Amino acid sequence: MTLDDAKILISDDSILARKQLKDIIARYGNPTFLEATNGQDTIDIYKKERPALVFLDIVMPVKDGNAAIREIVSFDKDADIIIVSSVGTQSQLRAAIDAGANDFIQKPINAEQIHHIITSRFEGR
Amino acid sequence: MYAQFFGNYLLSHGVVTKEQLVHAMQKKSSVHLKLGTLAIHAGYMTANEVDQIIILQTHQDKRFGELAVSEGYLTQAQVTELLKIQNADFLLLGQALLDDGVIDNERLQSLIIDYQSENEICESDYSNETREIIDRLVENFFVVTERALSRYELSFIHLLFNNLVRFIGDDFTPTCPCLCQEYPTNYCVSQKVEGRFSIRTYLDMPESTCIAFASRYVDETFDSFDEYVQASIEDFLNLHNGLFSVNMSNEYGIELQLEVPNIETSELLTFEKESYLLPIIYPFGTIYFIFELLATDA
Repeated sequence: MTLDDAKILISDDSILARKQLKDIIARYGNPTFLEATNGQDTIDIYKKERPALVFLDIVMPVKDGNAAIREIVSFDKDADIIIVSSVGTQSQLRAAIDAGANDFIQKPINAEQIHHIITSRFEGR
Repeated sequence: MYAQFFGNYLLSHGVVTKEQLVHAMQKKSSVHLKLGTLAIHAGYMTANEVDQIIILQTHQDKRFGELAVSEGYLTQAQVTELLKIQNADFLLLGQALLDDGVIDNERLQSLIIDYQSENEICESDYSNETREIIDRLVENFFVVTERALSRYELSFIHLLFNNLVRFIGDDFTPTCPCLCQEYPTNYCVSQKVEGRFSIRTYLDMPESTCIAFASRYVDETFDSFDEYVQASIEDFLNLHNGLFSVNMSNEYGIELQLEVPNIETSELLTFEKESYLLPIIYPFGTIYFIFELLATDA
């Protein structure tokens, strides 16, 4: 799949964090961005849209990131979920991986890491 | 990191006004340390001797080092050594104040001596800013607590200053923290950190300051108090607390939970637990941190 054909779900309660992530990804292509601001929205949008990739914050209102991962993975075991969090402790990392996340990025986000994630999953234009 | 504490020292001792300090803080990155300032700091020359050389320089077209050697104040080896010194950034602040004419060499000399003895800093400490020294500076800075800061509190404050340097800029001066029972809010966000060290953190500033703060944090120019600006304040607090919990986990094996940041809507906050207000002066305005200590086992 090319990046331009992909749907990418960005889930973070901070409008700034969502914008920064979208801005970085947009350097590499023009995917369809979907946005969620809490764990429950993330689950609902995932089920409806089946995005190719999800970026997910852990500390979020209504339902936290790990609860959202578990629910999404039970719905789609191949879901590709990347945690983006300011709390990159070993135990948080383990909890996220145990819940079904594929990768964990510590904030502040660094464009190189995002670039790596994008290029390892999508073909160029 | 010394410059910020030295700035606080100068301000709290009435040596400089807030405006003079802010100006010098902004300028310090472009200031060039003069050999005379370095010689005073190293204790090789007195302020008086430096002033004499400066007067001589007005009559003779020679470098400061050359004249200081010919007058017998410095050896050539000392000149070479001074030129090689890794500049302590607090001296850059001193130099900026000298250049602005706020203080003279004599005043600088006595300030350096007083500041160093008050904080038990010795000459060799400047080349390697060890954590121990910064912790001591933070401790002395927080005299208001009238007790030793716990290692968790020290880590928290130390990291906060580092994060300000890293994400906002090093041209700030922390002013002396004070005990706080009530606080009238501007735009205020809070976040609770919970676990074996529980603390509620607040970051408050007027809207115009938020705009400037966000512009630096995001590295984009904002010109109105919009949702991105508001999110930046939360984001910084959340980022700091997140990095703090990573440090606590790595250093002490303590797992902390972060709650979702919250925008404080009441005009007056009241604190039940021991709380400290820490104002930080930036050229673009003053930002206010408040820490409410909820529980600790340290």
